[in-house]
Amino acid sequence: MKEHHNIPDGLHYTKEHEWARLQSGVVVVGITDYAARTLNDVVYLSLPSPGQDVKQLSTFGTVESTKAVSELYAPLSGKVTKVNSELTNHPELVNQSPYEDGWIIEITPSNLDQEKGKLLDSKQYAEFLASLDH
Amino acid sequence: MPLWYTSVIEEHLAVRNKAGIFDVSHMGRTILDGPDATNLVELLVPTSASSQAPGKSFYTLLLNPNGGIIDDLIIMRTERGYLLVVNAANKGKDMSHIRTLATDYDVNIRDVTDSTTMIAVQGPEAIQALQPLTSTDLSQIKRYTHVSAKVGDSRAMITRTGYTGEDGFEIILHDTGLQDDAIATAVWTDLSTRARPCGLGARDSLRVEAGLPLYGSDIDETTNPFEAELSWVVTKGKTGYIGSESLASFSSAPLSRLRRGIVLDDKIPRHGFIVTTGTNEIIGRITSGTFSPILKKGIAMAYVEPAHSKIGEAVRVVVRDSPAQGTITKTPFYDEKVFGWKRLKQ
Repeated sequence: MKEHHNIPDGLHYTKEHEWARLQSGVVVVGITDYAARTLNDVVYLSLPSPGQDVKQLSTFGTVESTKAVSELYAPLSGKVTKVNSELTNHPELVNQSPYEDGWIIEITPSNLDQEKGKLLDSKQYAEFLASLDH
Repeated sequence: MPLWYTSVIEEHLAVRNKAGIFDVSHMGRTILDGPDATNLVELLVPTSASSQAPGKSFYTLLLNPNGGIIDDLIIMRTERGYLLVVNAANKGKDMSHIRTLATDYDVNIRDVTDSTTMIAVQGPEAIQALQPLTSTDLSQIKRYTHVSAKVGDSRAMITRTGYTGEDGFEIILHDTGLQDDAIATAVWTDLSTRARPCGLGARDSLRVEAGLPLYGSDIDETTNPFEAELSWVVTKGKTGYIGSESLASFSSAPLSRLRRGIVLDDKIPRHGFIVTTGTNEIIGRITSGTFSPILKKGIAMAYVEPAHSKIGEAVRVVVRDSPAQGTITKTPFYDEKVFGWKRLKQ
């Protein structure tokens, strides 16, 4: 089954299907359109509190859909500076707007230059998704 | 049947508010007839079969000699005999159980699963969804009864039953099955213009919200009908069926656990999670858990110790090492004046 997935340019991606948007010293993190569609309806997120440290490609929370629980992996190491509190009452934002209103946390990265290279760009992530189809 | 067509929650809400359709052809369908058919059914289930008039559909259980549940099923009594609808995963063991007991009975047993198609049409607008496909007046079919009818281009049985908590029908199309599905496809396609196609995800969240047990999760050969809160299928005074002696002994002894509904304040309970008191004393285990799109909360079925089974009792559910607050709740979980077949007061 070939589905068209929205993979915006300019973001950085993990193979665990998180995205990271680098903007003026902070990194906004969410899950990709592919992940949101695969999970189907997101109904609950378990998230860290601001101030907590996260480590690149370690889990920082969970996202639950009607049928499954999945781990969330931090694209970069750093300190959590914001959590999207809208998701507490409206977890469906993750499905409706995975790259905008459905963002999950904001991180102040601690090791951006070294770690950035481990992430995929949009073209590499698209190729990675295509490889999953086989 | 896929897990979902578009969205589990949208499909779930379509069934609660309008109408949804489910392809349940995978469920096992067996016709049992012949001179001794009623006697054999009386041996198989704790519900009195002879008191069911032709045209009745009834939910009941196959029990083992220990009173454990081999399967839950719907039996339709027809003019000629019985049609049994059983869980797909249990079809093999059900059939060997039935055939073993049938050796001394003059009966015919025919598996018609693959030669027929079964579709569930569920929701408050089920009549409007199905009526254009049949000349039979659906409003005249009472809940837990069935009629023979034509549906689309197939002879069919229409039964006013289902496993969602909602009003609705299950239709068995006799003339279209796995090998020849053109008529079934035409019926499904027509239904889907008025009712939303629903997958296994919505089927599961709907039955949990309605408080209905799923075989393999909430009931199995180690659970008895009393602790599973299914003793209403046992006809008072009936003896001589498989498991009857064990059931008689259960009814006079205290139960060690009871099936209950639990609503959580937050988080989603899942199968296997531990249930404790407010002081972390273990009192039971979750057998089914999901997110309720109506309550917008996590809901579960669990077996808990009778001393902690009172409706309204505060409990905790251990969700991946952290406790979530919950309450023992009546089922169905939804307000029956607003949702479910009883709201229609037929």
